[in-house]
Amino acid sequence: MQNKRWFPRAGALRTPLRILYWAPLGMVLTTHWYNVRVISGPSMQPTLNPEWSLSKDYAVFDKVAVLDKQDCHREDIITFKSPLDPKYKLIKRIVAEEGDTVKTLPPYPLKEVKIPKGYVWVEGDDPFNSDDSNMFGPVPRALIESKLVFLIWPPSRVGKLEEPKLPLSGTGPTFRRAMAAFERAHSRQSRVTPAAKIVIPESV
Amino acid sequence: MIAIPFPNPIKTSGLRPGNRRFPRLPHNFPVSFMANPRFLYPLHGLGQMLRARIFKPSKYSLPTRVGIGCLKLVNLVCFAHLFVEYVGTISTMEGPSMLPTLGNEGEIVVVDRLSTRLDPYNIARGELLILLSPLNPKRYICKRVVGLPGDVVCVDPTGQQAPSTEHVRIPKGHIWIMGDNADASRDSRIYGPVPIGLVQGKLRTRLWPPSKFQMFGSNMTYID
Repeated sequence: MQNKRWFPRAGALRTPLRILYWAPLGMVLTTHWYNVRVISGPSMQPTLNPEWSLSKDYAVFDKVAVLDKQDCHREDIITFKSPLDPKYKLIKRIVAEEGDTVKTLPPYPLKEVKIPKGYVWVEGDDPFNSDDSNMFGPVPRALIESKLVFLIWPPSRVGKLEEPKLPLSGTGPTFRRAMAAFERAHSRQSRVTPAAKIVIPESV
Repeated sequence: MIAIPFPNPIKTSGLRPGNRRFPRLPHNFPVSFMANPRFLYPLHGLGQMLRARIFKPSKYSLPTRVGIGCLKLVNLVCFAHLFVEYVGTISTMEGPSMLPTLGNEGEIVVVDRLSTRLDPYNIARGELLILLSPLNPKRYICKRVVGLPGDVVCVDPTGQQAPSTEHVRIPKGHIWIMGDNADASRDSRIYGPVPIGLVQGKLRTRLWPPSKFQMFGSNMTYID
């Protein structure tokens, strides 16, 4: 005779309950410490999600450095909640920190902006396709969620992003790409006047 | 048949450290649950339970079980962290910027983080909010919402920080916050509208002191 009880068989709930028991640890390890996210959108081209790539980039982001020490500085790629709509997260690069003066790009109304304390200026590497500080102004640091550490997909670009360096010599696509990256970084940094650091001499 | 009561023999199976000090009591009538030596001698009972759990026959060795125990402790800490982050917490308040609603110190309030996590736009004018300060990203502040996106707000009716005729239209995704104690509060009059993404939770009730128990909500009235 078929068992007419609706309740699951004895011991069937054991594995789901065990998973539920260890879920807090799993959640903290995968989302509150380092987490893997997919990057969508063209605003960071050609650094991330380049046009010629067949799939979106997947990357590991570091949350702890941001929360505890606010350890993100110029030239870091960060994710933050959009100031215009808190349901969306954006990924951009920090171009200037507090105290710096930035020459802005259109459509920002002012030509130069001095970043107030507690704010950062973020820009996407592709200035045309990017909703960044040139649209909504400086972003409070408290909105920053995580910092990009390295890419894990696609396989051809796995690893940390390279620091743009002046390529010594050469011709061909590799040289052109490295030179283009260097020129982009240079034009980005040339629009920023860093804050004057006041150095107090130790022995007076 | 007559029930002949048979006295329980006092079992002292060998001279072990436990039995001599706490011999089994010779009851031959029903005894209460609390007369169990586990409860009559609570420390001894606890010690027995701990020893039974540590030396419990298990398929895992003792170092493995210590490791799993540590993981369980870390799991508990993670659960507490997630609870505080996503559901809510009970915390103290300090600072004079919300007088007379909230005192300078010594009060305990309930913070609800779930409602803003589920729907960030679930904010009404006049509610007390917990936010991260735009000036210092590690500091939490508590202020009242005065304006929602699209509202036109008078920057400072008192005229201290700005002329009382100056008005601001709050952009999309931002809110205007103000402390109840206008004289001693750094709020939107100084740093302008703040993004809704900075909102961390809402203040729901004050629990301590008990004489000042209060449910917080919107205190706005509309003047037509």
